[in-house]
Amino acid sequence: MGVSVDSQFANKAYAEQIGVTFPLLSDFTREITTKYGILNDKLPVAHRTTFVIDKDGVIQHIDREAEALDPNNAHAACSVLEHRKGQ
Amino acid sequence: MQTRLRVTAGAMLLALASTLAAQTGPLKVGDKAPDFTLPDQSGNKVSLNQFQGKKNLVLAFYVLAFTGG
Repeated sequence: MGVSVDSQFANKAYAEQIGVTFPLLSDFTREITTKYGILNDKLPVAHRTTFVIDKDGVIQHIDREAEALDPNNAHAACSVLEHRKGQ
Repeated sequence: MQTRLRVTAGAMLLALASTLAAQTGPLKVGDKAPDFTLPDQSGNKVSLNQFQGKKNLVLAFYVLAFTGG
């Protein structure tokens, strides 16, 4: 899922433009971005960050800033979790 | 007596400081992900809780819509 400080309506237009089918969540009040400790206080937006969260709600992998542009590490972390499920 | 009071006060301060650090420090691998409920692009409310015990999740915070993510 994606999260940003955009409004639900901006996310709707964005989702249509880029053709995503997964949820894009709107954190318009910045409450959750702040809770996750990634609010950029110079510009009131999120630092680009990807969290991989397992079924128990525990963070298993984090990509920050430039690392988060490349989905391969998060994808690998997901594969590890899937593999664990099979054990 | 005074020494004991000082030690107790010191221990309390240390406990308070570590609690505050735990609450405000950056999230790390192994931490529990904070719960949230947020609207998706269709207005449906989505919570982290609803995936508990069911699905692993990728939560990607992007900077702004229409900016290449």
